[in-house]
Amino acid sequence: MTPPDTDLISLAAAGDHSAFHSLVERHRSMVYRVAYQFAGNHHDAEDITQEVFIKVYRSLARFRQDAQLTSWMYRIVMNACIDHRRRQSPASAAPFGEEAEHRMLNTPEEAPGPEERAYAGELGEVLEAEIQRLPPGQRVVFIMRHHQGLKLGEIATALGLAEGTVKRQLHAAVHRLRQALTLANVTAGGGA
Amino acid sequence: MSVCTVQDAGTIELYFYGELEGAERARIDDHLRQCRECSGALEELKVIRVALSARPDVSGPPSGDWSVFMQRLDDAVRSDAIARVPVPFKARTIVPRRPFVRLLASAALLAIVAISVFFASQAGRRTVETDGTLAPARIAGAVADDDAAPIQAGLAAVGARHFERSKLVVLGLAAKDPGAGESSDWAYERELATSLLNDTRLYRMAAEQRGLTSLAGVMRDLELVLLQTSMAEATDDSALPQIQRLIRKRGLVQKMDVVGTTGLVP
Repeated sequence: MTPPDTDLISLAAAGDHSAFHSLVERHRSMVYRVAYQFAGNHHDAEDITQEVFIKVYRSLARFRQDAQLTSWMYRIVMNACIDHRRRQSPASAAPFGEEAEHRMLNTPEEAPGPEERAYAGELGEVLEAEIQRLPPGQRVVFIMRHHQGLKLGEIATALGLAEGTVKRQLHAAVHRLRQALTLANVTAGGGA
Repeated sequence: MSVCTVQDAGTIELYFYGELEGAERARIDDHLRQCRECSGALEELKVIRVALSARPDVSGPPSGDWSVFMQRLDDAVRSDAIARVPVPFKARTIVPRRPFVRLLASAALLAIVAISVFFASQAGRRTVETDGTLAPARIAGAVADDDAAPIQAGLAAVGARHFERSKLVVLGLAAKDPGAGESSDWAYERELATSLLNDTRLYRMAAEQRGLTSLAGVMRDLELVLLQTSMAEATDDSALPQIQRLIRKRGLVQKMDVVGTTGLVP
């Protein structure tokens, strides 16, 4: 019988390395998936995943047994993603700050834009590229809602945000992706 | 900018993602039959879903082999474990939280911090850092005698926990969206900042007393951020951006990362 996460956490926190190993094996795919969707490449996804599990390891003793492991882990994943982004782009040290937010909302990055990609490749690529261009907060919320299928309330709990904030971040992210579709001249009828 | 208020409010996304039920969902069904703009937006969302679902699901290293990753993680965790004093885990019985339990816990924490400051002051400059490196846990571990080791480890653990909680507050503040405009968004950070402020001050004073200038500087910046956060008015829209600017200006996240990297416990 498979031990529940809470038992593994207790054992791991008491120094049982194999319990920690089992915990990692159980959740590494979920963490990697989110990290990859956030970062867009394997190298960074692997770094973020490792960072997440090191943070989990350091926090084992502080995990509240009555808390949801997935919520706890999502929060760690989000922070790891943002930390990673911060280290990569010192100029946007505070990705949610007003100046950085404004810059990221209005300034196209150097990567090829949706138009170029639409002509060169498929629509999925256009959208993935646009997801990479979203501000980190919007990106995390979109990934958790769209890819992970979490409800707004669950995302709010996991990230420690108000549900209204999550809703606005999701709306802004979706708005950006729809704009990318328009820019790429891909219409609903012709794109899918 | 959209003309339709339904779409502007983000309701079409909620509809698309199945977040609406009953009468609200029926209302949007009706609206979609009449509003070309919203029905177009819904179609685009469907296109986005189809396009993204066609992309490969990446949930592991390219080769599918996790062994290299697991080895790297094992190495990192083992070296981390050596660098840290393990904090024994205590299985917790879930009981309703009561205010007096929190008060007792706060009192106990303050007592431990006070003891650590006392020991630090007794140790004086006997073990003053000469290289200026950051060693926060040594504030708490100022007792040199061998028989004081358990106290030292306990104090170090308290210092580490305090620092981790403070870092959570700072990261939380830095990550908030000031445009969201809801004071409840950072109510948690403001509450936690207030509870951490006194201890931070004591740690800063202890660091200054020990001549740990770099660490004292980090704690001073942290204290300032916590102070501003705890004093911020919930209704003051400019408070959060100001605090975020302060965090950026002082490079507090990076400084705290450095302290975290150099180790919180001996």
